[in-house]
Amino acid sequence: MKRLADLLIKAYQAFSSTREAKCKYYPSCSNYAAVAIHRYGLKGLLMASWRLLRCNPWSHGGVDYVDYDLDSADALANMKEGVH
Amino acid sequence: MGFILNPLYNIVSGVMVFFHNVFSPIFGADSGVTWSLSIMGLVVLIRIILIPLFVKQIKSQRALTALQPQMKAIQNKYKDDRQKQSEEMMKLYKEHKTNPLASCFPILAQAPIFFALFTVLNGIAAKTDAGVPAPIARGFLKGEYLESAAQAKFFGAKISESFLGTDLLSVKIVTVILILFMSATTFTTQKQLMTKGMPKMDASNNMMLQQQKIMLYLFPLIFAISGVNFPVGVLIYWSTTNLWTWGQQFYVIKRNPTPGSPAYEELQRKRAHKAKLDGKEIAGERSPEVEAPKVEGQRQQPKKAKKKKK
Repeated sequence: MKRLADLLIKAYQAFSSTREAKCKYYPSCSNYAAVAIHRYGLKGLLMASWRLLRCNPWSHGGVDYVDYDLDSADALANMKEGVH
Repeated sequence: MGFILNPLYNIVSGVMVFFHNVFSPIFGADSGVTWSLSIMGLVVLIRIILIPLFVKQIKSQRALTALQPQMKAIQNKYKDDRQKQSEEMMKLYKEHKTNPLASCFPILAQAPIFFALFTVLNGIAAKTDAGVPAPIARGFLKGEYLESAAQAKFFGAKISESFLGTDLLSVKIVTVILILFMSATTFTTQKQLMTKGMPKMDASNNMMLQQQKIMLYLFPLIFAISGVNFPVGVLIYWSTTNLWTWGQQFYVIKRNPTPGSPAYEELQRKRAHKAKLDGKEIAGERSPEVEAPKVEGQRQQPKKAKKKKK
């Protein structure tokens, strides 16, 4: 199932990258969905659906990670420093 | 699933029946033209509903000029960290309650409509195991409407037939032509945007061009693979919506181009020229000044695109 979801998201991304329009959130809805489903399975699918609903013309978008502690630029930078 | 899909079937079939009734007096109730126009009417209605969203997005793109200095600062500060750069940019937009990027929802909102139309048209084409036509009514498309729609033809091909579901040459020819048309409109739209509609780009320009080349071959393939499974009616829907996208973009690029794009400069030149002819040279001199700062800021767009790689 996760593989299928991943494949569908990849296909969507290839398809939609030709259009100018991009998501008003960071990371984009499709990236968010890919991470959420990979990490949380069915719950991730619900999270992704909720994100899609929030990504409407009346929202202001913004930074919205699946897990801020794991995925944000700061978190990644901290992790790197920890390894060194 | 039914509670989500039934309203969609009702909407799609209701709109089709409405347009069918509108066009019936002109082209006849059982005419293929009437049914084809019903499907196109559905597209036009959806796209008209979506126009305000499109305008809103364009307006907020134009409003970005005021944020130019901050955007530049962010770019410089996080030169080496694209992710951080995107994060900060998003925060900036949110702070100022403007967002030049489209939301995902309107694009995806069309998918259920597409799916509903697919099901409704497939219902028309349904056959028993013995191969006897047994149309399934969905939503408002029932009774005489259903029988009429089942017989309706688009250039000699029944709108309910698909490439793989028939041996008729006419259906195969029409589907192939529609698939070619869809590929052509998508490609021209894409090309128009790349060459005229976007600000001039730096290094990432190459990547975009590369992508465009891939798309040139990929799109006909995607359309061909999916198109042979779809009823002619769905292909009519798809072609019409593609044509609309192209027309809408053509209009925007001509009349209201993105600052910094070649089309924008051309429009500025034309306006300056016109102003000179009118004897108002001040207006013509002013335009380059307005142009200059906008060009810089729009260059950031290609960088944002890279976040997809993550």
